[in-house]
Formats: sequence, structure tokens, C-alpha cells
Amino acid sequence: MKVILSAKPRKNPFIPVEAETIIPARFLEPADTLTVAVGNRTRPLTDVFDMAIEGTATDAAGVEVVLRGDTSRVKRVGEYMEAGKIRVEGDIGMHCGNFMKGGEIEILGSADGWLGREMRGGRILCHGNASHYCGSGYRGEKHGMRGGVLEVKGHAGDFTAEYLAGGDVIIHGNCGDMPGVEMKGGSLTIAGSCSRPCGNMTGGTCTILGRVTGMLPTFRRTGTVTREPGGVILTRFEGDVANRGKGTLFIRDWQYTL
Amino acid sequence: MTELLVKNAYVIDPLNGIRGEVMDIAVRDGWIVESVHDGAEVIDARGCLTLPGGIDSHTHICGTKVNFGRYMMPEDMRAGRTERRGVMHSTSGYSVPTTYGNSYRYCAMGYTSVLEGAMAPLEARHTHEEFAATPLQDTMANTLFDGNWPVMEAVRDRDVKRAAAIVAWTLAAVKGFAIKLTNPGGSECWGWGKNVKCIREMVPHFEVSPAEIIETLIRANELLRLPHSVHLHCNNLGVPGNYQCTIGSMDLAPDLNPDRQSLYLTHVQFHAYGGTSWKDICLKAEPVAHAVNRKPQVTIDMGQMMFGKTTTMTADGPMEFNLYRLHHNKWSNHDVELETVSGIIPVYYSRTSIVNCVMWAIGLELALLVSNPWRCLLATDNPNGCPFIRYPEIIALLMSRRYRDEELRSLVSEAMSQIILPSLDREFDWHDIPVMTRAGQARALGIRSIGKGHLGLGAEADIAIYPLRVDETDPSRQYRDVIRAFQKTSWTVKRGRPVARDGEILDPGINKTIWVKPKVPDSYDMGKDPEFALNFDRYYTVRMSNYPVQELYLQRSLCMESEAHL
Repeated sequence: MKVILSAKPRKNPFIPVEAETIIPARFLEPADTLTVAVGNRTRPLTDVFDMAIEGTATDAAGVEVVLRGDTSRVKRVGEYMEAGKIRVEGDIGMHCGNFMKGGEIEILGSADGWLGREMRGGRILCHGNASHYCGSGYRGEKHGMRGGVLEVKGHAGDFTAEYLAGGDVIIHGNCGDMPGVEMKGGSLTIAGSCSRPCGNMTGGTCTILGRVTGMLPTFRRTGTVTREPGGVILTRFEGDVANRGKGTLFIRDWQYTL
Repeated sequence: MTELLVKNAYVIDPLNGIRGEVMDIAVRDGWIVESVHDGAEVIDARGCLTLPGGIDSHTHICGTKVNFGRYMMPEDMRAGRTERRGVMHSTSGYSVPTTYGNSYRYCAMGYTSVLEGAMAPLEARHTHEEFAATPLQDTMANTLFDGNWPVMEAVRDRDVKRAAAIVAWTLAAVKGFAIKLTNPGGSECWGWGKNVKCIREMVPHFEVSPAEIIETLIRANELLRLPHSVHLHCNNLGVPGNYQCTIGSMDLAPDLNPDRQSLYLTHVQFHAYGGTSWKDICLKAEPVAHAVNRKPQVTIDMGQMMFGKTTTMTADGPMEFNLYRLHHNKWSNHDVELETVSGIIPVYYSRTSIVNCVMWAIGLELALLVSNPWRCLLATDNPNGCPFIRYPEIIALLMSRRYRDEELRSLVSEAMSQIILPSLDREFDWHDIPVMTRAGQARALGIRSIGKGHLGLGAEADIAIYPLRVDETDPSRQYRDVIRAFQKTSWTVKRGRPVARDGEILDPGINKTIWVKPKVPDSYDMGKDPEFALNFDRYYTVRMSNYPVQELYLQRSLCMESEAHL
């Protein structure tokens, strides 16, 4: 089953829409049970989106939801999703795919903050950029993303994979400040550059193929490894020593100044 | 004139010796009267259990410390969310909820008066502002004097009257209710990175011991004729082997007041540990309870701990630092100039931890071993032992041996060898529970005279009707029904107005703050004492004239004046 949701033009497109109902499983139910919050008002989903359904499905895994139009202010899409597929053709708002357990989200545009926050499983692929706190935990929590794969083809903002506890985060572009801070497990790979990675790290692996600025002095250098393809030589660090951490950091090039 | 008639109420009112009578309660303008006119609003209690409004004699719900708990624990706000509905504000939070969250949840449980366990005098304004946003409970604030410099100087000079005068000035200035000592002397030591180990150790610079502070302030308290006694959080909280310190503190209390205790020991569960380290911690509820039984001048509250997630917050800064070193989680620490300190950390009490199992058992053993329920009150030091919304479970544990046995089976076996709880047969009855949750509190706090904690003529019409028929319920078997009934009243009446029905809040409410103002002779008026004023301006960051909390901060205020004997 394919559900096509096309965002209707809105009088004030800046008012956020909270759309945690947009997960594949919910489209097996009658459409009139689906509501979204527009600002502080609850509205039927069909007030905000034109909905077209092709085919049928018996379970969530057989449902593909396609979001079209201006969805840059639509938040919490794919929250708690367990199966099926969501394909966003434009940009997506904050908190996309949080607590996601399974299935797949593909974003052709860019994602706002908190993409895949506290994700448990499944796969998110963002072809554009992701903003701050991509694959992170939430305010005050001690565990961030715990499983699944989160891949961003563009750049990501600050605090990427903060409190990462499991799963893989792959950023093809650059990251902002403090990626992997308080990391406990899982793996974080950054193909581009970033600053001050992995402070207070206690476990997990982080690989940075670009240049690191503001490298923290609390990591111990323990040799080099050669990475295929291309035979890139990476320096291996362990730490964060300040935290008696046992994380591993592979870095191609770094400087201690910012 | 507004009138209300509660009909067919099955009343238990320990302060008036009513042990379960079906009667009508007439209310006019917020007070209980002989009779009302025919047109009065009627609530039919249908023979259900009807008690005076609940009183919590030790809880942390308002003030800077609680609010810092909220800052520090944004994840706590993900639980307990309710939307705005009718007169209710939206609420959130589990262990440190929003003020309205506290107020609504207490109200749904039938609680109508609460005592904030620790207010730093310098930060009283904040506490009173939060009191104003706790609209369905009358509020009182324990005022911290544990590390107060002028008081410690008076203690060193052995000048009880001067200590009393300083207390009188401060309580009236900050609109406080009673003297609170949290780890007396320890807060000053903490300023030097130290702590006092027991009551005979010396505080640096001031050269006074915690024992001297406690003794002097008990005497000062009685000189001022305050409604409540000194409210003591003993030294060495949560340290294995601290029970001797607790018993030592009890021994300090002279019997000075015929109407109530002379010393109130709070959250004694945290102060009844034996052993020398976390590895060999053992229960010492028995000796502590026997000490309470021997000393009629002492009243305690349980400080029961329940398994689950919570936030601990106290003015005992060094203790919180020790807990932080154990858990390596978040920690906050705060210094309040010349008065006190505080600390906060989140904790998770687990059934798989021997230490936590022991703590759980100590609280219950204390309550069951103290023979007189008037002298061991039900409290959890909310949210330190657990959030107050779990009181109904504690009530059920006290009333049902079967429930206790069921819970005991889920504990780790290593803890069982030292727990004597399985051998305790005592089950509290329907008359003990109101004593431990309202009547005992009213007597211990000395607020019976203002109409709290009973339903006799002239009492304030704070009434809680629980959906439970005493004659049809066997608490020892039907403990689940007991829990359900105490979680949600069918009606809560506050000052004569129905404020909650089946847990739904009906009235925005307006509370009053009860505070004390001892009248002292002019020669003991600290506002006019040159030495006090000089030191105030020298050491505080605020001017003495800006220090008192204006009455403007109290929505409704009830000032309990007393004639001091100085």
C-alpha cells in the first residue's frame, strides 16, 4: 500500500505541525482517526495533507508513506515506527524518527534538529543535511540512540550522536561542535571534519576521516591503523581519560587548537 | 454565607475519639458547625470512609532546591504529563513535578495541608511564590537554622535567649513555621570540604558541636512557645552505622512540652543503618524504634523508601556529594551564604540492590515497631524516599502482612538474612492510618488549635471522602482495593468547598500560608540589635532591610502569634 500525503498550502506555514500519527502502522486504521496538532489545536490529518492511497496492505511492513510539498515544519514523523517505509520528498521538521524501532525513513531533502533521536532500530537515510542533535539523546537523559543505522549524506550540526549507546551513525559531510560527546557505545563515522569530538566518551568507536580541530587533550594515543580502501592512515586514541573511559577514536588529522 | 452538608459519612476522627460512626458533617463558611439550613449543598458520602484532610508533615515541594531539581532533571518532565482541562493547569513531572502537579496529586489523595521540609531563609521569597502556585493545600515552611552563623555564635556563648531571639526575628522575617536542623553543624563544615561525623564533633571556627546546637535550639523553641518542636534531620544521613548517632540525638531531647513532642526526627529510615560500610550495612530499626518507645518527648516520621526512580534533595550537602561519588550521575550543590547548603542527585532504588532492600525494610520495621502510631508518622521525605503519590502503597503495606510477604518475595535473597520484617505480625487498622496521616501530624505540628487534622466543631472543613466501605473491606486481604481507594478520593473538600471529585479538580483554589511570629520583649528584638545588624551587613549579600519577605507574597496568611518567655 502506498499512502501519498501532499502538504496543502497553509496560511501561516511557520506554525509547527506535530504529526506523530504519520507512521505506516496508523494508515491501516480508518483515515478519520488520524489527527495532528497544528500549533495548539488538534485537527484531522486531512486538513493539513491531501491523502491518496494506492493498493492495500495487511500489515505495517507493506505500507509506504510518501510526504510531498512543504513538510519542513512537520515534526515527529515516524515516531515509534516499527515497520514499513516513509519517504520524504522535501525537507522534514524536527524529531523525525525518534524512538524508531524498525522500518525505513528516507529523506530526499534536509532534516531539522533531533533526527533519529533515541532511535532503537531500523534505518534512516537523509540525502541532504541534518541539523543539531542528529542521532542523540534528549535533555537530561543518559542514553541516546541505542540501535539501528542513521546515515546523512550531507553535513550534520552540533552534538551529533550525543550519548550514543548503540547502532551506527554515518555522516558523509562535516559535523559541527562536539559530535559523540558522552558516547557509551555504538559507532560514529564522520567522513568530513568536526571540532572537539567525543568528550567524556566512555565506550564505542568514532572514526573521523576529515580534520579535527580543538582535539581534546584527554585522549591517549595508542598507535596507527591503515584503513582500506585507499590505505588511509588513521591514528588511534583511547579515552576519554578524564572520565576513565574506554572508547576508541580513529582520526586522520588533528590539531589541538580550535 | 456558603453552606455544605456531608451526609452519611463513616467518620474516623482520632483527635475527637470518633472510631467509625456514620454521621453528617455540617459546614458553614469553611468551618465545621452544629447544623446548616435546608438549602445547603449536599454531598452524599454513602457510608464511605471520611477523614479529616491529610497533612504531610515533611515533604519537599516548593523552593529553590526543588526548583533546581526541576532544572536538573528535564527528563523527569517526560513523565506525568496531563493536559490543561477545566480549571486545571497542564502538569508534568514524576519525582519533581510542576507546582500544580504537586497540588492536584496531593488533592486527589485527600491531602489539604503540607509542610515544606526545608526552606533556606535567604531564599524564602521563592518558596512563598511557589506556595502561591500550590493552591489546594495550606502550606507551612520549616526554616533552616543548621549552619546559621549568629545562632552558632549564641550557642557558643551558651546564650539560649539570644538564640531564641535570632530564631524569632528570622522566622517572622521569612514567614517560616518551625525550626529545621538539617545535619546541624555539618553544613558549615561542608564550606571547608568537611563534615561532622556525629553529634560530639566540633564545627570549625565556631567551636560548637551539633549536640549543643540541637539542645540550645530545643530550649529556644520552647522559650518561644512555637506550635511545632525542633524538626531534626540527624547528622550522618545514609551512612552505615549512623543509628547510634540518631539514638544519641534523641537522648538530647528534654521533655519540655506536655502537648506534643520536644523533638521531631524526620525520615528516620535514612538514619537507622548499622554496619561499617555499604558492604556490611545492616538494619537497626529495632534499637531506634525501642529508643523512640522509651522517650515520649520524641516523634518520628518513617521516611519510607519505595523502589523506583526518584530525585533526592536535601540541605545535607556533604551527604549528597557522597551519593554522587557512589552513582556518578548528575549532582548539584548550593551554598546559602551564612545559613545552609543543599545538594541534589537523581537515584534509582532497585530491588536487586541489597542496600536498597534493606532501606525499604527499615522504614516499615520502624513503623511496625514503634508501639504508638501517634509517634511514628507516615511520610517518605518526598521525593527522597519516593514521590508522595506512593503513600497509598505504604498504607497498604502497613495494613496487610500478606502484601508485605508478597513484596518480600521479590527482594534479593542476600538481603533477607537480616530483615526481621517477615516476623512482624502487626497490621495497622482503620484507626491507626488516620493517626499516621493527619491526626498525628496535626498534633506534632501543633496546628490542632487552628482547626487542622480533626472534624470536630470549630475545625476547618478540610474533608477527604475515600471510595471505600470499611465494614466491607478486609485490608489484610483486599490491599489492592485499599491502594486504589487512597489514591483517589471520591470527594476532597478544602475549607468547605468541594475541590476534587474522583481525582478531577473542580476548583482553582486559593491556599493560605501558616507562619509564626513569637512576640519578644524589646531588648530581644534582633531588628534593633546593633551587633546583629552590623554582622548582617558585613556578611550577607543583601541588606537587612531587604531581607524580610513582605506579606504581599502570601496570598492568604495565617500568623500564629505566641508570647515568648524571654
